[in-house]
Amino acid sequence: MNIFIPQSWLKDYIETDVSPVELAKKMSAHAFNVERTNEIKGDIVWEAEITTNRSDALSIMGIARELKSLLPKKDYKFKYKESKAQKTSGKDKLEVEIRDKNLVPRFSAIVLDEVQIKESPEWMRDRLEKVGTRPLNNVIDITNYLMFDLGQPMHAFDYDKIKSGKMILRDSRAGEKVITLDGMERELPQGMIVIEDGEGRLIDLCGIMGAKNSEIDENTKKVLLFVQVYDPMKIRRASMTLGHRTEAATRFEKGIDFEGVLPALWKAVEMSQELAGGKISSDLIDIVNIKPRSKEVEIDYEKINLLAGVEIEKSRADEILESLGFEIKGKKAKVPSWRLNDIDIPEDLAEEVIRIYGYHNLPSKLLAGEIPRLQPEKIFYWEGIAKNFLKHNGFFECYNYSASSCNAGENQLELLNPLTEKIACLRVSLIPQLTEVLDKNKGYAEKIKVFELAAVYLPRQNDIPDQPSRLGIAVKGVEYLELKGIIEAMLYNEMNIAQGAVDFEISKGENGYLTAELDFEKISQLANNDKIYIPISQFNSIKEDLTLVVPENVEYPQIKKAILAVDPRIKSLDFKDIYKNALTLSIEYLDRQKQISSDDTQKIRQNIFANLEKDLGVRLKK
Amino acid sequence: MDQSKFENLAKEFMEDLKKVSSLDDLESLRVKYLGKKGILAGLFGEFAQISPEIKKDFGRKLNQLKNNIESKLSELHSEFFAGTEIGVSQFEKTLPGKKPQIGHLHPIITQAIREIVEIFKPLGFTQVRHPEVDWDYFAFESLNMPKTHPARDEWETFFVKAPENKEYGKLVVSPHTSSGQVREMLKNQLPIRMLNISRCGRRQIDVNHIPFFFQFEGLAIDKNLSIANLRGVLDYFAQKFFGPGRKTRLRPFHFRFTEPSFEVDVSCGLCQGAGCRFCKEGWVEIGGAGMVHPNVLKAGKVDPKIYNGFAFGWGVERTYMMKAGLKIDDMRYLGENNLKFLSQF
Ligand SMILES: [Zn+2]
Repeated sequence: MNIFIPQSWLKDYIETDVSPVELAKKMSAHAFNVERTNEIKGDIVWEAEITTNRSDALSIMGIARELKSLLPKKDYKFKYKESKAQKTSGKDKLEVEIRDKNLVPRFSAIVLDEVQIKESPEWMRDRLEKVGTRPLNNVIDITNYLMFDLGQPMHAFDYDKIKSGKMILRDSRAGEKVITLDGMERELPQGMIVIEDGEGRLIDLCGIMGAKNSEIDENTKKVLLFVQVYDPMKIRRASMTLGHRTEAATRFEKGIDFEGVLPALWKAVEMSQELAGGKISSDLIDIVNIKPRSKEVEIDYEKINLLAGVEIEKSRADEILESLGFEIKGKKAKVPSWRLNDIDIPEDLAEEVIRIYGYHNLPSKLLAGEIPRLQPEKIFYWEGIAKNFLKHNGFFECYNYSASSCNAGENQLELLNPLTEKIACLRVSLIPQLTEVLDKNKGYAEKIKVFELAAVYLPRQNDIPDQPSRLGIAVKGVEYLELKGIIEAMLYNEMNIAQGAVDFEISKGENGYLTAELDFEKISQLANNDKIYIPISQFNSIKEDLTLVVPENVEYPQIKKAILAVDPRIKSLDFKDIYKNALTLSIEYLDRQKQISSDDTQKIRQNIFANLEKDLGVRLKK
Repeated sequence: MDQSKFENLAKEFMEDLKKVSSLDDLESLRVKYLGKKGILAGLFGEFAQISPEIKKDFGRKLNQLKNNIESKLSELHSEFFAGTEIGVSQFEKTLPGKKPQIGHLHPIITQAIREIVEIFKPLGFTQVRHPEVDWDYFAFESLNMPKTHPARDEWETFFVKAPENKEYGKLVVSPHTSSGQVREMLKNQLPIRMLNISRCGRRQIDVNHIPFFFQFEGLAIDKNLSIANLRGVLDYFAQKFFGPGRKTRLRPFHFRFTEPSFEVDVSCGLCQGAGCRFCKEGWVEIGGAGMVHPNVLKAGKVDPKIYNGFAFGWGVERTYMMKAGLKIDDMRYLGENNLKFLSQF
């Protein structure tokens, strides 16, 4: 969460000669990143990102308290003084009934009478504007001001509007309605913290926003100042459910300093007396339902040094912890009340010490030690080979989203919270999105070849989906045999897989698209760089082309088989071309015992024709 | 044999050369001078019998002559071919060659992943991949984020419609590569130096975000690792990936699964750290890092009393664009597969 920190306000708490620029650098390096420095009305205002674990720093005082650890004592003075308790008494009563103690660990309130509602003084309006809040009237402004000042959200009710002077704090019931300060009627689900008055009206949606029926207006005379600690989870769920994230709710849900409640209430009383002329007219109400336990965490000095990679002396470590408010008790540190949510284990203390010591003061060292045994998986290597091969054969590599529309195959897993219909189901095939790529790029060229190498997600019973790597291919304007040839060359030449060991099918789609999807897990297992040496014959081979007329219902493997069976001296047989039913093959003859002659090949050829004609009805083209 | 004989022979050859009008002529000329029974072969025969004092000089001159003849013959040979024989005219020589059609690998993702893998290889980090759709347990719970922890909200997680597993919870699209940390530890092979590069998914789509993207994550688990080691590895990466002179810095941050936690900045390449409008005070944020939280080690069945570790990780696409100085105005281009876009790189 980002907060605004005007330097003029910060000066209420610190006295230092260090310039704001230097101070911001230190903040960023040791504590919270100052993301921007703005100038507003001649004042320097930082915008800093406060990490989620540090609700204690969501205030000007909290930031000043943190800066205390970053600056040498001689340059710096921390000037925070807690407001003191005052004598309380009066005729105004508040009857409080808390239905479940867990809802509100601490409940404190006090009534002021003779309050004059008016505009706040200029200095306060000015400060509120600098932190991004619109001033309203003196009493409401005081509550907002103190939230930014001390990090303690608070609320003010018009005491006279709380019927029978009674509050019942409880869980909301489903369907209950409340009109909040912003004028919106909100229907509540079950389980939000609310306050009901003596006549059964809801007067507060706790931690989120007050109700309209009890708000401070210009006629208000009696003000109930109200400072609480709520169950953070409840506040969080409520603000998420309502979709209403307020500064107050954010602070409540991250955790409030239990010990900060009364000082904040007293400061609110002080300011109201000063700025609105109020007088205390009730006893102090302070109900402690669940007191957080104090915490002591072991300081592991050895671990601090190990983590830092450099020695930080014990005295320096202790000094740092103390400057952050920890109390050193032998080998343990007592955690200050404002850090109870955040510090649990020795590593947490190590982080505190080392960050204040300065990450930039640590050395930069490469790893020593044993090299791990884990060998790289083969698949990454072969993915690289396949990608390069396809690239050099004119393919574009694509990356499509892991999810697609829900009509892209059987058994797709559905997303429970999809972003759009187009990305609502996990893909089970790469092809639908690849053909979409062809559609989208129709005008790019006559001939387009695309591929994607990625996982698909195949559902399994009671397990995460199977996520095999696939190679998806889609082409347009490419002939069937050309595509088949590219795939075969990749598998059987480039990746050295045994001829025919991978099954793949090329499908014909609309617009003359051809697609194929290959199991890349299997491919990467079969692919190899094995070298087989076949002695080179000292004799020469004879090569020739044969063109055959192929009748219907004959398949190429039959022809190939029939030819190779004729004579062991047929060294190789390759498909060369096909035109209508005329199939051209190139054939190579080699005798490893002696030089083969054209007489020999003529005899072999005659046997081939005899065989082909007898078995398959295939003839030589005249 | 005297000097003039070599000179005469050279002259004679030049005369013969002028008479050549076909490749056949050229071949007979070659046979006449360089053939097995040619003039030069004869001279090399004499060489064996001459007296030692002039042998050296004779040999040198003979070789000179031979080289001269060879180069003249080969020159003429190429002239024949450059001419009408195979039809390359002077005009054709000025044309560009016919290029094979070369495609394109994904300019950002594939290129970046390759570079990253190569950089970490010498440091002993091995590339791995972990499930892209995984149990909540690995994405959150084992990373020190119990079921109701608010920190989970920072990831805009996609949930998958499937029965919940008693032990591991819901099925999610892994929102970060950190889901691989505990899985890697459970392989029970220590020490670990892992480089996990995987697809992740988050419910975000706008100019700066695409719902499916790549992250890479380094994880080292060993005895006695320190923040100084993390700095070492990050500095090494920054210099190899972004260029010499680039530095990293760690800023305090908070993640549930590391303690301490950091944000990692790299010094700005545009202003060399002086501060400009593309950076924050000379630094550009690239990702997160930290020392592995003891609870995460425990979830991975690694004893935090003996071992510790560090992890770092960030988005592949963004990091690469930052490196290349590419100003791609809309991240969504990366997932659109517009060939006009892909062919630019
Ligand atoms: Zn810069």
